[in-house]
Amino acid sequence: MNLGLNTEQPQIMHLDLNSAFTSAEQQAWPSLRGRPIGVTNRLSKECCVIAASYEAKALGIKVGMRRSQALAICPDFILLETDPSKYTYMYGGLLKIMKSYSDKVKMKSIDEGIIDFHGTQHIYKRSLEQVGYEIKQRIYDELGNYMHINVGIGTNQFLAKTAASLHKPNGLDIITHVNLQDVYASLKLEDLTGIAHGYGSRLRVHGIHTPLEFLYADVDMLRRRVFGGINGVHWYHRLRGFEVDDYETQLSMVGRQWVVANPSNDDAYLRSCLHYLSETTGVKLRYRNVKARGVGVWLSFANGGGWSDKKMMRSTFYTNQDIWSHVARLFDGRPKHMVVKTMGVYLYKFTPSLRSQLSILDDVTKADYLTKAVDEINDFYGSFTVLPADTLTGKKTVKQKIPFGGTEYFDLLLKRA
Amino acid sequence: MDPTIEINERVDVVAIYKKRGDTSTLCVPYKMRWRGREIALTELALRHPTVAGKRMIHVFHMGDGTNGYRLEFDAEALTWTLIAMIGGRP
Repeated sequence: MNLGLNTEQPQIMHLDLNSAFTSAEQQAWPSLRGRPIGVTNRLSKECCVIAASYEAKALGIKVGMRRSQALAICPDFILLETDPSKYTYMYGGLLKIMKSYSDKVKMKSIDEGIIDFHGTQHIYKRSLEQVGYEIKQRIYDELGNYMHINVGIGTNQFLAKTAASLHKPNGLDIITHVNLQDVYASLKLEDLTGIAHGYGSRLRVHGIHTPLEFLYADVDMLRRRVFGGINGVHWYHRLRGFEVDDYETQLSMVGRQWVVANPSNDDAYLRSCLHYLSETTGVKLRYRNVKARGVGVWLSFANGGGWSDKKMMRSTFYTNQDIWSHVARLFDGRPKHMVVKTMGVYLYKFTPSLRSQLSILDDVTKADYLTKAVDEINDFYGSFTVLPADTLTGKKTVKQKIPFGGTEYFDLLLKRA
Repeated sequence: MDPTIEINERVDVVAIYKKRGDTSTLCVPYKMRWRGREIALTELALRHPTVAGKRMIHVFHMGDGTNGYRLEFDAEALTWTLIAMIGGRP
């Protein structure tokens, strides 16, 4: 049967730092090596494990578990608070190594990324497998002897990532058109990146129970019946090793959320913390060189309920003063007697910033100069050297923590460093 | 449980500065005196930079064979501070 597989020599390499946060901690603290450890954003009685070491995972401790659950499984489980400077260093080191091989590098998250080797064959007169082992050695030499990486090589990003997940930790695998079916035969549907419980159920309803059956499925059937659109065609090509995921994602939202250190309904306390979150959101917005039109605020309450509100403004905004004035107006509409447990602020509906254009309105120009001046001072002397007086409580209370998913936060820290 | 013991005390440090090598090993603390005790630092586990405002801070995670220490060198004030330690296995 001719499956129409991509027979090109694999040129995409996926790198994945194994248990990045906990490995960084075990690298820094030798006495923690070989022990079940995890990290959390803020240590508290019921905090969550946001990363677990391989030793902890082997005992059944999973990411997202409560501290009490983890301790019930293993009373010796060690939980540390996250250390952003350590992870920024690791992220920067990984990025530096990757960029030394190709200019086509894309970080997929804070601990994994893709190198596209197309057009570099004349530079590296050796196989990508050899390059992969060299990168592993460089990670070991340059980041630390407890830092390990999984390497996957394939003809597209999907197969490279699949290859990188085959033998954890510290594996190196290559998927080509020759072994593609053997690899699929060893996997379950939900092992495929992008196929979670929902898609898995949908595929089974249509008689597709394994990755091999998924590969053999007809493109029209995938498009019309299973996925109901172009997504089915993308899956048809993706499974065959053709690139369909090489696109830039659009920024749709920036924001900041915070678990209130001492749940409260005290207006001054909550307002100071929310104002502080608005200031950090403003920094993120300007770092991305965009202006926003939409603003939203949400709260969750200690009794389990929640509240949210959002508004689309007539004109765009980007200064901290504008952001806070919009946020404060929304915040005033909350049920004031409720005890707040978590709060968040977000901005959306972005347009590129045109801050280099002078406004004909003097007030707008002054606000722009002020924002630029404050940003420059804070860049040079440290975040929040200059800040609104009413955010002082927030500054003392809200700690900068590690966000999931995106890499913008680390890119911002690297730029400042 | 978090085994980190926060200390935040200035310490005397003897460091080795090498003529060449990569940045992670050009400067390595060799021993420190803390609360009257002299501790030989035998392992450099991780060195990474960080900033405190415009001040460059070099963070050294060191080991003495049993315990781990987080030492910070403030490149502006030229001070060494023992920030924290984690004891070895009981």
